[in-house]
Amino acid sequence: MSYLTVSNATKQFGQSFMALNGVSVSVERGEFFTLLGPSGCGKTTLLRAIAGFNDLSSGEITLDGSNLRAVPPHQRDIGMVFQDYAVFPHLSVFDNVAFGLKPRKVPAAEIKTRVTQALDAVRLGAMAERLPAAMSGGQQQRIGLARAMVINPRLLLMDEPLSNLDAKLRIELREEIRDIQKQVDIATIYVTHDQEEALAISDRICVMNAGRIEQVGTPQEIYGNPQTRFVAEFVGTLNTFKPGEALDAMLGQLGLSAPDAASWAVRPERLGLAAAGSAANGAAVLPGTVTKYTYLGREAHVQVETPVGPIVVQVANPGMAATREAGEAVSVLVPHDAPMAFGTDNARIGG
Amino acid sequence: MPRFNFWTVVMILTWVLLFVLLFIPVGSVLVSSFYDQEGNATLANYLKFLGEPRFHQAFVNTLVVGFGGLLGALVLGSIMAFCVSRFVIRGGRFVSLLAILALVSPPFIGAYSWIVLFGAGGVVRGFLRDMGINMPPIYGLGGILMVFSLKFYPYVYLMVSGALSNVNRSLEEAAEGLGLTPWQRTFKISFPMVFPALTAGGLLALIHAIADFGTPRLLGRGYNVLATEAFTLYSAEVGSNMSMATTISVILILVSMFFVMLQRYMSRRNVYHGNMINKPVRIQLKGWRNGLAHFAVYLIGLCGAMPVIISVIYSFRKTSGPVFQDGFALQSYERILFNLGDVVRNSLTFSVAAVVLIVMVGTVVGVLVARRTNFNTALLDGAFMVPYVMPGIVIGIAFIAAFNTGAIVLTGTAMIIILSIFIRRLPYTVRTTASSLRQISPSMEEAAISLGYSPFQAFLRITVPLIVPGIIAGGMLSFVTAINELSSSLVLYVGSTMTMPVRIYLLILDGDFGTAAALSTILLLLSGCAVYIAFRFMGRNEQALL
Repeated sequence: MSYLTVSNATKQFGQSFMALNGVSVSVERGEFFTLLGPSGCGKTTLLRAIAGFNDLSSGEITLDGSNLRAVPPHQRDIGMVFQDYAVFPHLSVFDNVAFGLKPRKVPAAEIKTRVTQALDAVRLGAMAERLPAAMSGGQQQRIGLARAMVINPRLLLMDEPLSNLDAKLRIELREEIRDIQKQVDIATIYVTHDQEEALAISDRICVMNAGRIEQVGTPQEIYGNPQTRFVAEFVGTLNTFKPGEALDAMLGQLGLSAPDAASWAVRPERLGLAAAGSAANGAAVLPGTVTKYTYLGREAHVQVETPVGPIVVQVANPGMAATREAGEAVSVLVPHDAPMAFGTDNARIGG
Repeated sequence: MPRFNFWTVVMILTWVLLFVLLFIPVGSVLVSSFYDQEGNATLANYLKFLGEPRFHQAFVNTLVVGFGGLLGALVLGSIMAFCVSRFVIRGGRFVSLLAILALVSPPFIGAYSWIVLFGAGGVVRGFLRDMGINMPPIYGLGGILMVFSLKFYPYVYLMVSGALSNVNRSLEEAAEGLGLTPWQRTFKISFPMVFPALTAGGLLALIHAIADFGTPRLLGRGYNVLATEAFTLYSAEVGSNMSMATTISVILILVSMFFVMLQRYMSRRNVYHGNMINKPVRIQLKGWRNGLAHFAVYLIGLCGAMPVIISVIYSFRKTSGPVFQDGFALQSYERILFNLGDVVRNSLTFSVAAVVLIVMVGTVVGVLVARRTNFNTALLDGAFMVPYVMPGIVIGIAFIAAFNTGAIVLTGTAMIIILSIFIRRLPYTVRTTASSLRQISPSMEEAAISLGYSPFQAFLRITVPLIVPGIIAGGMLSFVTAINELSSSLVLYVGSTMTMPVRIYLLILDGDFGTAAALSTILLLLSGCAVYIAFRFMGRNEQALL
């Protein structure tokens, strides 16, 4: 049995709104598990149910084999990191971190060593005596992290801890969180709506939508082998081919077929771009005209009008010479293994 | 979960409190206005109100002083707000202090000081007469309006300067970019932005003006308003007409309620939140414009604080009986020390007792309203609106009507004065506690819970320390209102429960200005200390005085 299991979790608000609709997940010891999805998908509701702040309407949660729902939140021994940091403004940095050790009756000397260690781990050792009010968001969230971890909780929960920080700091801090989590080896559930963050930080990702689980898997599985159209679109970007003769011809050329497919799609970075009239081995060639060129530094997006509809091709490391003008004739190369087919229920059925 | 817990008990007790101290007294006012002196049900009182020219006049006069006060406060307040927030004014903080002084001094001290200067035997008037200039004394409507304008302009000033300094400068820059002249910018951009604050501040002045009793009483000389009519009818030594007094109270409540609702509606519309990035800068004026701006600001500020200045000076003047002599002495203070110590003690004990009650009950109820949001607490929140619309004189008459006979007899006790202050000020504490609680992120307590504290401990260790400074500050401001309360105490006092404002009022009627000035100075000193402590706890925040 897994370390943490949630089975058939359901949470109903009011008469009709189902925030969670029969969700089951399991998390292993030491695992970094991420709940990913758009706002309102139920990820925070699930996290707060595990923390004990909102109870489920029905379903079971067990931690290390024991029923968690019967335990009041303050006895669950679960550390939590909040989106708005929730650092206590009237306590010094040291007292903030020591706060959770007091009800655990840890002797004063041990509190001192453990808090100092925790503060060093989040690189705030020099600021122990300061009041947090004037500190930056990144520093406040480091306090929040140290405070949650110093109690050696059985489980660590993080509710969009980086979403109020600026982009550079977000990347820096997420690396630190990942490193610290591996060091202390605490099972962690992390909530985010940022797909890049989820891919970078997680052992496994659970993509949620409208109160249900879409797919659970490693970052590679989620990105490279999405099982639903929602996952493919939410994690990464997607070109959808226009149905018709041109699409059938292209699929025939690639030897692909899925009779029940409602739609075919492809990721922009799986496509290639070549001069008009080129041929390629094992790839279909779509003739097209460039309508827009967007240069982004380490990549460029080329929008091409083709017989299967407008398609965006992502070109890595575009040099000065790679610039395409609008109106230029080009060939779009579609490799054999790039297209994905989705059924009428949006589940992946082939490709 | 048991449904019948601590908070249910609090809820029930709060409703009981509201019924006993508010709804039943005010209800009995309402009811007694439908009975004649013999106890027969009748509409005669209202018919009499409609029929008698004297009451018509009082009704019209009430509206006249209300709107006159509004207009005067608007003019003075907006000039001052505009100058202080848009131009560099030397000693801007001092000017704000003058406005606060005007705000915390009881209005009847204002009336009295202006009488000292411009009354029948007024100092300035006498001086001008010696120079051959004959000016009429300030009694009557003109005097009332002048005192109201100078007393209530801080409401407009504080609200508008708050709004003006929050107007995003980018908006004016955008208008400039679109080719609007400075005057067009002021009227088309800035003015609409501060309009809600202007109306809200002006209506606040109006509400206080129509509820004020001391000023028209002292300065009116026959210019009667509803508040003074109610008091006259209540206190007439021969043929006190209680049911007519309550009828007028009901009318006063209705007028006041209308404007309070209007004021709340306008302040809710006051939602143009500027960003903190592009704040307006103050312009350094040059030449005569600079002189004019300084002159206007200081003139308004000093005139507003004039009552305070006059009281302090006159309190140290030498007197012989009630007559002032040349030179200075501490006689007035000696008289207070030997004869009026119990009045000072009464004021202090009543105010402190009321504030302690207000803080304890208000905080618990505030937590209830903020944290247990349901239909019942929303109703409770609404019920706490009622004391806002109650002029003090009405609460006084209502308490007399309710606690004179029957189950609870309180007339003549200290308790009735304490409770009247308590119920009038309680809503402020409930609301400030509730709003400061709403500002504390719930994740703060959740963090403490996840760290192993029970919900109650989390509340005690995290939330309470965060709201205590605000509660102390609110308590201090309640103390200022409590110790300056005149109109309800005047109805409720007996010889042994006389308070400082009542004594000052009586001393002024007796013509003993020296003692009145000294007592006023002590009152101002106490109010000043309370405001200072409040600002120490929450930072200098003039807006909290509104």
